[in-house]
Amino acid sequence: MAFSVEKKQGFSVVVLNGDVDLSRSPEARRAIMKSLKKMHNVLVDMSAVDYIDSSGIASLVEGFQYARANSLEFALTGVSEAAMNVLRLARLDQVFPIYASLDERITSGA
Amino acid sequence: MPYQPLMEDAVTTQGLRPSDLPAPPKDAIRVVQACSRSDTGSRDLAAIVANDPLLTAELLRVANSAFFGLASQVRSVARAVTVLGDRALRNLVLCIAMRDALRAEAIPGFDIDAFWEDALLRAVSARGLAALARLDADECFTVGLLQDFGLLVMFYLQPRHVGEWERLRRSAPDARRELELALFRTTHDEVGLALATSWGLPQDLTTAMGQHHTYPPESAAPEDIALCRLALCADWMAAVYRCEDRRETIQRTRSLLYEHFAATEEGCDRLLKQVTESLAEAASALGLSIGAQVPFEQVLREANLRLVEDNLSYQELTWRLEQTLVERDRIAAELQKELELAREVQKSLLPSAPLPGIAGINLSARAVSGDLYDYFPLADGRIAFCLADVSGKGMYAALLMAKTASLFRCLGKGVNDPGKLLGMLNREISETSVRGMFVTMQAGIFDPARGQVLLSSAGHPPALLVRGAQPVCEFPAQAPPLGVSPESVFANETVRLEGGCLYLYSDGLLEAQIETRRLQGDGLVKLLREHAQMPPEARAQAIAGAVVAGSGGVEDDLSLLIIEDQRSHV
Repeated sequence: MAFSVEKKQGFSVVVLNGDVDLSRSPEARRAIMKSLKKMHNVLVDMSAVDYIDSSGIASLVEGFQYARANSLEFALTGVSEAAMNVLRLARLDQVFPIYASLDERITSGA
Repeated sequence: MPYQPLMEDAVTTQGLRPSDLPAPPKDAIRVVQACSRSDTGSRDLAAIVANDPLLTAELLRVANSAFFGLASQVRSVARAVTVLGDRALRNLVLCIAMRDALRAEAIPGFDIDAFWEDALLRAVSARGLAALARLDADECFTVGLLQDFGLLVMFYLQPRHVGEWERLRRSAPDARRELELALFRTTHDEVGLALATSWGLPQDLTTAMGQHHTYPPESAAPEDIALCRLALCADWMAAVYRCEDRRETIQRTRSLLYEHFAATEEGCDRLLKQVTESLAEAASALGLSIGAQVPFEQVLREANLRLVEDNLSYQELTWRLEQTLVERDRIAAELQKELELAREVQKSLLPSAPLPGIAGINLSARAVSGDLYDYFPLADGRIAFCLADVSGKGMYAALLMAKTASLFRCLGKGVNDPGKLLGMLNREISETSVRGMFVTMQAGIFDPARGQVLLSSAGHPPALLVRGAQPVCEFPAQAPPLGVSPESVFANETVRLEGGCLYLYSDGLLEAQIETRRLQGDGLVKLLREHAQMPPEARAQAIAGAVVAGSGGVEDDLSLLIIEDQRSHV
C-alpha cells in the first residue's frame, strides 16, 4: 500500500501505514521530502503505523531537519502505540512535535 | 492502424442475412446445381449454360485455354459439356461465376486485382498439391481460387477497412485470421461458409471454404478432410510469396506439407517453385491480370539471408552477454576486495587488547557493520567505553559508524565526562547529517576499582543491570540519538554494579529470535542469566552464538558489551 499525501487546512498530511521498514522507508522519505521541498508545512499521520525501524525514523528525522533549516513546520499526529514506543525509547518524543490529531494541531494555534 | 471495435455493425455470421450478401450469380448456380444432379442429361445442361450468353462465351474461352489443356478445341456448349464432363464443367463455371460475382466497383478503393492474384496463387498451389493428396487437379484449383472468397465479402460489407487490405495480405495465414477477427469480428472462413450455404454451393466446396482453417470433424468424408488440409497448405504456399517474414513462412509451409502429405523439403520447394511458373498461364486462362512475380529462388535467397542475419545477431548477442558476465564478475570481485578491506579497517576500530571486566562482540548482517563498540583504558585506571548503532545498514551506515568510532576514540581520551562527550559528538554529527541518518549511542566510564559506571545514553535501548536473582534494573535513554538535533543535552547517571553485570546491546539483539521467540522482553534477560557464570569474553561469544543459531544467521547488525564487577570482596 502506498503512502498518501493529502492537503488539509494548509498542511500536507503524509499518511504512513503498516510497516515502515528498510523496504518502505525510501517511499516514506520521498513523500515527506517532496511536500517539504514544495515549501509545504508537513504533518505525518502515524495512526496506522504497525512497526517502524531506524530507517523509517531516519525519514522522519530528515524531514524534521529539513523543515527546521527552511523554517517550515514538521510534526507527527495520532502516533500509534507501536510507533510511540519506539519514539519514546529513543527519546525522540522530546524532539518531534507530536499532536493527537490534525484538529489538535489547529486548535493549539502553534 | 488501431484496432476498431465494430459492435454496432460488425460482420458476424450470426447476424448475416442473405439480403446483406452480394447477389448470387443465378444462371451459374443453376448450372452448378444441375451438374451435381445425376438425372441431368448433357443436353439439358448445355441448354442451361446457353441460357447465359456471357457465361457461355467465357466457358468456351477458358475451356480452350492452354492451362486447362483439353485434347481438342471445343466450339460449342454441347461439345464442351461432353468433353469436360459434369465435374469439370461445374468447376469451370464456378470459377468464372465467382470471379464476376463481386466487381471492383462493389468495393470502392479495394484492389480486387490483388485479391484475385493472391487467390490464383492459392489455386495454383492447390492444383500442384492435388497429386500428393490424390484429388482431382481442377477441383483443387477451384477450391484454392475460392477458399478465401469470404474475405472479399467482408470488405464488401465493411468497405471502411479497405486500408487494412495490404496489411492483411502481407500477414501469414494464422496472423491474418487474427487480424480479421480484430477488425471484422469474424473471419473469411466463417463468412465464406455463410455465403456458400446461402448461395447453395456444392457441399464439398462449402466445407472447403468454411473449414480449411478449423478442419471438419473426423467423421466427415475423407475427401472433404483432405480438401480442407490441402486448402490450408495452399494458403501457406501462397503466403510464401506474399508474407514479409519469408523464412518463418517457408518453414511453416514445409512442416505442414510434411505433416499432411509427407512431402519432403525438396518436394515442397519444387511445388513452391512451380507455383510462379504456372501462375501467368492460369491468370491468362481466367482472364485475370497479375503483376510480376518474384521467382522462388529469390524468395529462398531472402529467407536464407534473414536466417544468416538472425544467426549473426544471435552470435553477437551471445558474445555481448558473455562480455557482460565477465565484466560483472570482474566488478563483483573488485567490490568484494573493497568490502574485505573495509571490513578489515572496521575491525581495527574495535578494541584489540582485552581488559579485565569488560568484553564485547560485534556481528554484522552484511560485509560491514552499522554497529560499533569500543573501550580503552584511561590513565587513572578507569575504562572509557561505548556502544552505538547507526540507523540503516550497509556501506553508508558503516561510514557513519567509522566516523563516530574515530570521534569517540579521539575525543574520549581527553573528555572524561560521557554526557559532555556525547554532546560534542552530537554537534559534530548533526552538522554533517545526511538523509536523516542518526546514531543511538551509550558512552560511559567504568571504574573497576569502585564497581561503578558513569553512563550516558543518546536514544539507545536501555542498558540492563543483572545481579544474581535480583530483578533486572533498566537504564533507558534520557536524550535523543546523535545527529537529530544539535541542541540536545546528555545527562550522566551513575550505575553501581554491586557485584552484578551491566549489559549494553544494539537492537539487533532484541530483534533476534531463539526458538521462534523474539528476545524482546524477558527473552533477553533469560538468555543473559543462562550464561551468567561464564567469564565475560566467553559469555559474549556464547550469547552471540546462541542468537545466530536460533535465528539461523545474522539478520541485523548485532553488538553486545558486557561490563562486570569483578571485585573479589563484593
